[in-house]
Amino acid sequence: MTAVVAKYRQVFLVGLQSNLIYRWNFLARGLFSLLRLGVSVILWSAAYAGVAKIGGFGLDQTLTYFVTLILLQFFIGAFNEDYQISEDIRNGLINQFLTKPINYFLYRFSVFAAARMVSGALIVIPVVLFLPVLRGWLTFPHEPWRIACAIPALTMAALIQFTIAYCFGLLTFWLLEIQGFVILSMAVETVLGGQVFPLDLMPPAIFHASRFLPFFYQMYFPAAILTGRVAFPMVVQGLGLQLAWVVVLLLIAEFLWRRGLRRHTAVGG
Amino acid sequence: MNYLRIWLAGARYSLVRTLMFRGDFFVWSLVELFWMAVNLLLIAVIYRHTASVAGWNEYEMVLLVGTGMIVQRLVTGFFWSNLFELGRNVRTGAFDFYLAQPGNPLFMVSTRKLDPDGLVNSVIALGIVIYAVHRLGLHPSVFDAALYSVMIVAGLVIHYSILVLTMASTFWLTSSNGIEGTYFTLVDFSRLPREAFRGIAGVLFVWLLPVVVVSNAPARTLLHGFQPLWALWLGGVAILWLIVAVTTFNMGLRRYSSASS
Repeated sequence: MTAVVAKYRQVFLVGLQSNLIYRWNFLARGLFSLLRLGVSVILWSAAYAGVAKIGGFGLDQTLTYFVTLILLQFFIGAFNEDYQISEDIRNGLINQFLTKPINYFLYRFSVFAAARMVSGALIVIPVVLFLPVLRGWLTFPHEPWRIACAIPALTMAALIQFTIAYCFGLLTFWLLEIQGFVILSMAVETVLGGQVFPLDLMPPAIFHASRFLPFFYQMYFPAAILTGRVAFPMVVQGLGLQLAWVVVLLLIAEFLWRRGLRRHTAVGG
Repeated sequence: MNYLRIWLAGARYSLVRTLMFRGDFFVWSLVELFWMAVNLLLIAVIYRHTASVAGWNEYEMVLLVGTGMIVQRLVTGFFWSNLFELGRNVRTGAFDFYLAQPGNPLFMVSTRKLDPDGLVNSVIALGIVIYAVHRLGLHPSVFDAALYSVMIVAGLVIHYSILVLTMASTFWLTSSNGIEGTYFTLVDFSRLPREAFRGIAGVLFVWLLPVVVVSNAPARTLLHGFQPLWALWLGGVAILWLIVAVTTFNMGLRRYSSASS
């Protein structure tokens, strides 16, 4: 057991180093994300001009939601993991994992965790810099149970994000080009994950339906817990559904991996 | 005339290429189409809860966003991938190839290929604008429609200039990974009505940077008819930024010293 932990801890440390190379990239991305937050601020401020509450939430609550999304994106979001996995398969780099006692999913997940550690640390810098501007809108609920529920929700959200990206990467076993699919799915995930607007502002029937999709638990659910957009009973229910999706996605990933390897011909080296 | 022939050759090559990779074309068209739908979805969601945003009603907003989309899809169709490659080519030294060509370097760089998916989607964006015009019960005159088209072209010039400026920074920065984010961030702001900008944001995005005028000026022409001030503003900004972009590109060109071998 300790040997296994030590193995992936090593991967994590190497991942940490290789991701630190991209620190300026992450920092630049963080800055752009905050600048783009300006679009949401201007748009929603104008939308709130005539009304005090939209969907039961004030302007500050909605803006807090968007700021939280940016932080989550850098702490638990999948960036280009699908692409990295796709490249591993296409270039034959994956062959080295087949002959070693290492689990490819765990290997990739360790690298993902390291990458988010780096990007997460780096988003804090611009957020702190902008804090004098942001502070006026930020309003978080204080109930302690929200923090307690947010921890499992965030962990599972990270797992869902990564596993979806992993599955898309594995599609390379069957398809030569996955970039188009990846971007198409990214668009779906962006909307149904609640990154364009808080999902609770949709018509109730659609919002209810979206709760049964995995995307709901990628971003919206943890962000909604932290910013007070969902009540306790729904959070408990949501954690159950989220766990179910984690299991389903892991099973799909395992299935794709087994099927994919059968098709795989180890070319290159 | 010579340039037109070069451009046509590039266009023909791009079309043949698209016909070779039909699946690719289909997927990418779908991607862009989906993103346009996302923008419309956002409008639909916001207007479920409020009747007016900065004095614009729902279909006026669709008209505004649709106008922005036309310009952006045209940029994607004509220039985006060419100028995106400029950044990479300057870094790798492959840019030499363009300098060796018998023509103005900026022209050669900008017009090498077309992206038919962007062009197809600009037609769909036009459809969205026409739908909004219909829903608003507007009947623009031929003059207004013609003016709208000219303004779209002026918007295209502005977007092109921002893109050239962004990518030309590679001449100085060498590592320009992610620099194109500047362009997309700026373009994002052009979806918003001018009235929504206040304070510093107003100074920056309305007056200093030409992002608000690009979509607002043509949309206003359809909504309220010819407004000389907006037309002059758009025209002036287009000319000014094109001059700045071309000058910057040429300055960068003088700095360029062919990287690697």
